Amino acid sequence: MQNNIAKFRKDKGLSQQELADAIAVSRKTISTVETGRFIPSVIIALKIAAHFEVAVEQLFTLDDND
Amino acid sequence: MSKQDIKTEEKFMSHNAWFSIFMGVTLLIISVYPMLKQTSVPLLFIGGAAFIGSFFMFVIRGGFTWKLGYRLTYKDEFLNTIDTIAYKHVVLGLLFSMGAIFLLSDELALNVSHSMMATFYLALMCLIYGVSIIWQSRD
Repeated sequence: MQNNIAKFRKDKGLSQQELADAIAVSRKTISTVETGRFIPSVIIALKIAAHFEVAVEQLFTLDDND
Repeated sequence: MSKQDIKTEEKFMSHNAWFSIFMGVTLLIISVYPMLKQTSVPLLFIGGAAFIGSFFMFVIRGGFTWKLGYRLTYKDEFLNTIDTIAYKHVVLGLLFSMGAIFLLSDELALNVSHSMMATFYLALMCLIYGVSIIWQSRD
């Protein structure tokens, strides 16, 4: 699975810590989700999407391995 | 969950990982050195003192406040996941090391006491846990 979280975050001018604080998760959660090493739960995915006011599908996309 | 709780958990996990590594190295020295040198008592005292000293250093430096309490799980999803994976690494590491010891047991049996072997296994578990947490939480 690929994601565009880093792009949306940078467009909004947020640091990883600021985004983490906004959705009440650790900074390492954001860091590892962005790099694709950690697949977040639906709850975290929805929280991130709600924060950026976009659909989850705009943030996360399936690739051939999924 | 408040921001402060998450930051406290992150800090706790980081210090916990380093403490595990430090304790693992100390226990490894306590268990392996006497096996090689055929002596145990003086090094056990020195190792014990080093362990207690390092424990209190981490208690003070790590800010292990009593209000944090002891929890079996972390509330943050990522921290909880890597903690669970680290325990799996510990079990795998323990199984492999016990297998290796089983194969070498005939050569070791006369020189090594049960307490030294128990300390050795504990050292391995601490080391694997600490290294696993540090490795998994890299940016």
